[in-house]
Amino acid sequence: MPTIRIQNVSKSYINSEGEPTNALSDINLTINEGEFVSIVGPSGCGKSTLLEIVAGLMPRTSGDVYLDDKLVEGTSKDIGVVFQDASLYPWRTIKRNIGLGMDIAKIPRKEQEEKIARYIDLMNLNGFENKFPAQLSGGMRQRAGIARTLVMNPKVVLMDEPFSAVDHLTRCSLQDELLRIHKEEKKTLLFVTHDINEAVYLSDRVILLTPRPGTIQKEYKIKRDYEMKRDDVTLIELAGKIMADITRGRDYNENVEYMI
Amino acid sequence: MAGKVKTAKKRKKFTLINLLQWLTLAALLIFMQVEVKSGRISKVFLAAPTDIIEKGYKMTVDGTLLPHLWATVKEVLAGFGLSAAVGIGLGFIWVLFPKLEEYMNVFCSAIMAVPKTAILPLLILWFGIGFKSKIVLIFLFGVFTILYNTLTGAKQTRIEYLKVARVFEANRFQTVFKVMVPAALPSIFNGLKLSAATALTGVIFAEMQSAREGLGYLLTEAQNNLNTPRVFFVIILVTVISVLFVKLISTLEYSVCHKWTRV
Repeated sequence: MPTIRIQNVSKSYINSEGEPTNALSDINLTINEGEFVSIVGPSGCGKSTLLEIVAGLMPRTSGDVYLDDKLVEGTSKDIGVVFQDASLYPWRTIKRNIGLGMDIAKIPRKEQEEKIARYIDLMNLNGFENKFPAQLSGGMRQRAGIARTLVMNPKVVLMDEPFSAVDHLTRCSLQDELLRIHKEEKKTLLFVTHDINEAVYLSDRVILLTPRPGTIQKEYKIKRDYEMKRDDVTLIELAGKIMADITRGRDYNENVEYMI
Repeated sequence: MAGKVKTAKKRKKFTLINLLQWLTLAALLIFMQVEVKSGRISKVFLAAPTDIIEKGYKMTVDGTLLPHLWATVKEVLAGFGLSAAVGIGLGFIWVLFPKLEEYMNVFCSAIMAVPKTAILPLLILWFGIGFKSKIVLIFLFGVFTILYNTLTGAKQTRIEYLKVARVFEANRFQTVFKVMVPAALPSIFNGLKLSAATALTGVIFAEMQSAREGLGYLLTEAQNNLNTPRVFFVIILVTVISVLFVKLISTLEYSVCHKWTRV
């Protein structure tokens, strides 16, 4: 059952030199319920732009985005977003940051307690409830950022390079936690990353975008019928294949001469 | 972490430089004392520190100082309070209603450009030489600094913070009060500190020009009577008040922001 349907979405804008630029061109993508889909591609290919369009944070030039067959106009309670550097509010404690969405929805603090406690537990933030973001490590902050999104119980979670600002080991443990949460919470996940290994390790499906204007170059399905380790041969092979496809670029035949 | 750095700073050792600084100060005071007492420098031009202390003590004890001090403090607090309320308030009203900013900005910039001391004659004409004209002057001295600092602070709210608010479907008021106000706090406090010092300058100037009370009035009176020790005493007193006032705002800022700001 499809949750998110992206139909013929294009985005162009006028750049600083006053020339029209195409960021995305004719993107068609369907994401099924509970599916974990990653978008990878060279930098500047418009992956973050696509994510912001789906989030309703950026207007699209043409095309439509549907959530459960309903047109997405602007932001929606059913779509949560996790940002690159967590973007926690520095003046709020971790607990109050996680409660931000409920504060805005005017849910009384008393009723928030239980939910916040559950997600503090889920994201291993126990003992840090009353700390301020500046007192936490980058990995901790991103966990709080994820909790802030999940506590609102959205159907779909969009993540924009959420682990790019943390060190490698923290990133690995955050990835494992994300997989665990995806299993527990059964959210539909759209994940933007520039890290191909991360994409293949986490996702059911990887979408490769071409350089600007971004179009879908290729899709890779990953069969996850058994628990895969990071060093699983199929994953490593697939990552290599995607890497090769990126270097080949949009037009396979044109570049092949240079490669021989 | 920040707290530890602070305490480390406080326990800083007394260095040779500190010693030299104290010696310089002492030398200056001794110079004033000796030169004035020996009559080499006229009492009209300089005051001996002991005379300054004596005059200051006398004024305090016989009750001449207190009404003037109170008058000035009252004017500063009222004028500054008004400029803070209007500056911060208008700043956020402009953020909420950008059309209003567009309309009002040119007028505010124009009034801001007028040297405030130049309109003192008009203010006296309109509001008399008492409390009211002083408040209006202090208000004009401070309000624009606070207004534009508030505005800049709010407008420099990180775009990511605003995106988070949009994702959670915050309305305009929520975005302003839950995101932009706290994000602008450091900048607002900056504006308050800047205008606190100028508020005192403004009020002393106004009192020197035309008033029946206040430290500025006391200053002019002492000058007319060639009472130089008293002039020195009032100058020192005004400086101390100015420092304390800024310190008060810094303390307030620290108690509000120190938990979440780095450094």
